[in-house]
Amino acid sequence: MNFTYVFVLIWLAYLICSGVLLFSRGFLLARVSKTETSSCRRLSNNPNDEYFLTPEVVNEIFKDVNASSSSNLCLPQKSKVIMLVIDALKYEFGVYNENTTELLPYENKLDTLHQLLQQSPGNARLMRFKADPPTTTLQRLKGLTTGSLPTFIDIGSNFASPEINEDNVIDQIVKTDLPLVFLGDSTWTDLYPRRFKRAYSYPSFDIFDLDSVDNQIMQHLPKELASNDWQVLIAHFLGVDHCGHKHGPMHEEMSRKLSEMNDIIKSVVAGMDNETTLLIMGDHGMTASGDHGGDTDDETNALLFAYSKQHKFFTSSDAGSDNEMLQQIDLVPTLSTILGVPIPYSNLGLINFNIVPAVAVPHLSKFQTLLLHAWQNAHQIYRYFFNYALENKRTFNVEQMDKLETEFILLTHRVQTIYNEAAFKSFVRDLNMNLRDILNVCREIWVKFEPTQMSQGLLFSFLPIFFAFLLINNSSASDYAKIFKPKEVFYVFLMNIAAGVFGYRYYKNFSFKTEEHGVIFFTSVLSSVLLAFYTLRHWNSIANNWASVKRFAHMPTRLLLFSMMAVFFSNSFVIQEAKILSYLLVAAILLLVYELLLLSARLDFKNKFKWSQFLRSAAFRLILASLLAICCIRFAYTLFRCREEQGNCADFASNSTPGFSVKRPSMGKTYILAVVILVLYTTLTRLYLRSCGNLTGNSANVMLARYGPTVASICAGGHILLANSAIKNIQRTHIDAMALVIYGLLLLQIVVVSWTPLMTFVLPPKNPNSITINGRDSIVPEIFRKMKRMYEGDDAEQSYAIPVVYGLATVYSSIIISFGVFLAMLMIVVLEPHASIGLIVCIVVGAIILSIHSILRYRTATSFESCVQPTFSAVVAWFLLAHFCFFATSHQTTLSQIDWRAAFVGRSSALGQSHLISGTLVILNTFCGPIFFYCMYSLLSTETFSLFALFPSLIKSSSNSRTSNKSDAAVALSDIATEAVGFDMTRGELALYEYEDVFLGAGFKLATQLFMLQGIKIFCAMLACTIHCRHLMVWKIFAPRFIYEALATFVGLPSLIVGYLLLLRINRAVDGLIKRINKDK
Amino acid sequence: MVSRFDQQKTKHQLFHVSLSLATILICMTYMQYRRNWAHLGSFWDSLIVPIVFIGELLKVILARFFGRIEDGVLTVKQRQKKAAYFTPRELLGGLTLQFLCTLLYAFICIILGAPVLANYEQTFVLSLLMTLLTVSPTVFLLGGGGALQVCFCEKPDFVTKCEDTALHLFKYNALGGILGAWAGSVVAPLDWGRDWQVYPIPNVIGALLGSALGNIYACTHVLYACGRVYMSKKRA
Repeated sequence: MNFTYVFVLIWLAYLICSGVLLFSRGFLLARVSKTETSSCRRLSNNPNDEYFLTPEVVNEIFKDVNASSSSNLCLPQKSKVIMLVIDALKYEFGVYNENTTELLPYENKLDTLHQLLQQSPGNARLMRFKADPPTTTLQRLKGLTTGSLPTFIDIGSNFASPEINEDNVIDQIVKTDLPLVFLGDSTWTDLYPRRFKRAYSYPSFDIFDLDSVDNQIMQHLPKELASNDWQVLIAHFLGVDHCGHKHGPMHEEMSRKLSEMNDIIKSVVAGMDNETTLLIMGDHGMTASGDHGGDTDDETNALLFAYSKQHKFFTSSDAGSDNEMLQQIDLVPTLSTILGVPIPYSNLGLINFNIVPAVAVPHLSKFQTLLLHAWQNAHQIYRYFFNYALENKRTFNVEQMDKLETEFILLTHRVQTIYNEAAFKSFVRDLNMNLRDILNVCREIWVKFEPTQMSQGLLFSFLPIFFAFLLINNSSASDYAKIFKPKEVFYVFLMNIAAGVFGYRYYKNFSFKTEEHGVIFFTSVLSSVLLAFYTLRHWNSIANNWASVKRFAHMPTRLLLFSMMAVFFSNSFVIQEAKILSYLLVAAILLLVYELLLLSARLDFKNKFKWSQFLRSAAFRLILASLLAICCIRFAYTLFRCREEQGNCADFASNSTPGFSVKRPSMGKTYILAVVILVLYTTLTRLYLRSCGNLTGNSANVMLARYGPTVASICAGGHILLANSAIKNIQRTHIDAMALVIYGLLLLQIVVVSWTPLMTFVLPPKNPNSITINGRDSIVPEIFRKMKRMYEGDDAEQSYAIPVVYGLATVYSSIIISFGVFLAMLMIVVLEPHASIGLIVCIVVGAIILSIHSILRYRTATSFESCVQPTFSAVVAWFLLAHFCFFATSHQTTLSQIDWRAAFVGRSSALGQSHLISGTLVILNTFCGPIFFYCMYSLLSTETFSLFALFPSLIKSSSNSRTSNKSDAAVALSDIATEAVGFDMTRGELALYEYEDVFLGAGFKLATQLFMLQGIKIFCAMLACTIHCRHLMVWKIFAPRFIYEALATFVGLPSLIVGYLLLLRINRAVDGLIKRINKDK
Repeated sequence: MVSRFDQQKTKHQLFHVSLSLATILICMTYMQYRRNWAHLGSFWDSLIVPIVFIGELLKVILARFFGRIEDGVLTVKQRQKKAAYFTPRELLGGLTLQFLCTLLYAFICIILGAPVLANYEQTFVLSLLMTLLTVSPTVFLLGGGGALQVCFCEKPDFVTKCEDTALHLFKYNALGGILGAWAGSVVAPLDWGRDWQVYPIPNVIGALLGSALGNIYACTHVLYACGRVYMSKKRA
């Protein structure tokens, strides 16, 4: 029937989202990964091999180092390698503090490192291991094995580890027939399936589990150390990282974990043989709160420790390598050097000789060995760099390329003439400088944008918003049925699919790079033309409606909206966005109250202002309620999460100050408060529903609404208390069961809503003189009215019996509200305790906005159509609230502050490890505000009706000035309403059903208006990114802000559609109910 | 009604607007002379509040001066009202109303993000200034009860024509002041690190500039109406 509107909404959502997607493809450009691999001639110490190292061979090589035969060499393997990767091993964890009196929990726990350094300084190295952001484990592992720079787009794909197809050191090791053994985090085996001789991999999934992976490794490690059939052994420990996430670095658990690591290191050192190099490294650091992902020094400074029993390492005086800090990409060539395998094709790092054991190569002097290594490395980098530049033209600046090439050619000449160590040292210094220049050039370039995709993305998201504004915002709700005919919409979809297929097939002919771009381009162009066509066809009515709009109407609201959009354009505004949004939200509420006050005061006090009358009026109560709402918003300040740029932020306290905070200090009160507020919320909604008469009867949804929220709130409260309690011996499955119950209840609610949504109760018509009861307050006037009609001898009244229907006055809103209760419960479980307080605070504010607005709406309405269509200020307030809720639930628009914990709620074993569910839970956590408030958006138009059905006295009070006959107020109630707005307001939401077409059209219009607001917001975010794409802060502030806004759009628009579907479903059920009652009669 | 330059009402309006503008100009000059912005938030050290106070008083006196001519044609109610102007009851009512308003503004400042307990002096100065710009002139002109009535009811019948003119202009002043103070916060989050970004200063200056803009808007309205009449007359 009215699914046409849904399809129009889907169409618009697709257009906006595809524009955003196209823009993000151009803005967050990924590096083109190359699939070529390196190979080399392996020189060997074994006389049976093809390239046996003899003095003749050496002479041959040094005759022309640049010749193709000698530029592609691998020197023999120097030693076996044990790599212990300890996730999130920060540099500070390994630094020995001489002052042993005041130790922080993480200090001096790895004292084996200190002892080894003291005993044999030549055989041990402790270095800063500098990671490139983003500092998430998956990106770091890619960087640690391919030697290339991670690009921005990779971030966030931590949940789906795809196999790496770029050349990497693991593949090279496998190709050279060196056996690999792996123990630990299964991310490795996801990245490199089938590479390892033996792999003991364990899922890194459960972030609360500090020990099980490490224990498994410890169980297998001694056995593996003893066996001699491997050349490379990799062990990846997760405990320290998980401990950071769960407790933060200042907890005693951290010292326990680090001591454990120390024991492991000790045992490995004891068990390794003389021909082995031990590398202990962290893949990234952690912030003061134990999280990671960003680019602060805390997060990027990891630790690297190298130890070799017999062979001393090369020193920095030998080769001029940095002995203080090692870039993480330098590990790959260094590892290749130690193992004698080719350096991976796309590596950009330099060999750091400080951790290469100085094993003598026969017939070669020390400086010759080093020279050969360094020169192989240089050749490899140049090959990669120039091939990349050749295949991706216009990527690099030509002048810069020329300069680099000239320098390299000079170096190739110079390398021929090196015959002593001094010459080598000066040569290697220049070479390193040159190679680092290349690295920097690449670093700059791989954040390059694609202007065509960006501009098209901007255009294609703007056009649908613009036409939707023209077409839908300027037509009246009753006209939509004429504008969007089902058949036409069907053809629109067909044409779009055809355009999509065309784009998919022929994208190359139009020089688009990907199929996706082609599809989006053709569908968007076609849809814009169609929308323009629609607009032109209905231009007459549009122009008429537009002409009747006041020229400077809603100026303050527009100002609010403008300031909200302006936030994106300044980095300081983005940093302070939480406060700005709350400032604007308070202003929006004040504006609503001011309008209401102006209106009602003019009505209530015609001549004389009386305090006593004012204090008794409904307006005063509403003012008190709005004060409560504003205080709630002010209270939410305490729930905001700070970000690094704000300064004095506890999450990012720098090392210099002793401000390392224990995670969640003294939060006991917060948990209790969260539970109390949660119970209060459930009770209040229950009371509300009961007073509406929606909890009477025994239909499925009524039963669920009667008992479900109680069960859900008990489970949610229990989950909050138990998951964060200090008691340790609670089984995880018991805690998870509570979360599972809530997931189950939401699913049940969805099933019930799609099956029998109605929450009404039809009393069998025993008594022919029964009446419709809306709620407590309206019983008396209803009876009175009924009696009066009977007294007057109304024929229609007596000819048939009116059945009693409980909860008919709130038939629409009750279902939406009870659905919202379950949705909110789910979000509360997923959110952190104090964040769930924020969510409920926002819901309270939303309820108050609804009640203020409904009274305002009724008093300004002139007809049913204007009554069902919310005022612009209320729509903006709702929109502001949805986005304010994001910040009130302790979120911040930085990439390192995503709450990954949500992915593990209720997931210990039962629900499997699907990445889809994890992603959904994280999205539900992060965007709980937009999802919740967009799903509930139809309350804005229905709540006016239910409120007046519940408190019919409001109708009287609002219009007693117009009709001064107060004598028979109760009788005239419906007449007053009819006189004021043209229909009987006392019928509550049943009136909505009577004007079904207008109501559904208005719901559609409201959804489109929110679409437009969200669309303008994301458009401004994109525009800001385009303008600021060379800004210093673009990757730190503007790009994350854009990503968050884009994700909010991607989940927000579908939630609006869900909200509209809910409305349609209820409408159909109401239709059935009324028809059934009529048939019974 | 056509408006002409030589009308009493137009004269009153123009004098009124120029008085407001002069007040704000004096404030600006004073700030320029002090050169130091930091004192704007302190109560004892800044002359902004007294200057604005005197300006508002002068406007009320101006309204009284122009009202003198109408004295002959007053109704009974208007006469009663005028007689009761200096009674203790009216004075007390007016003072209470202004005090309550100051508290309300302070509360609004706090809920809009001012620190709750710290900086109470600055909050007090800002709310005092807001009261002076919005409520005080009306209270000075009509007394406490009269002001409430004007704000919340339809136009009471004791307001004389001349008072009506003044009230109309006060409205622009108040609206401009409120919007200006609200919009003044726009500079607060910026990372420029200037000393005038500290809490009450942008809002104080915003309120002053806002009310100046409101007055300029009112002035253009008056001038435009007069100019049109003048032009049409000339053409005729």
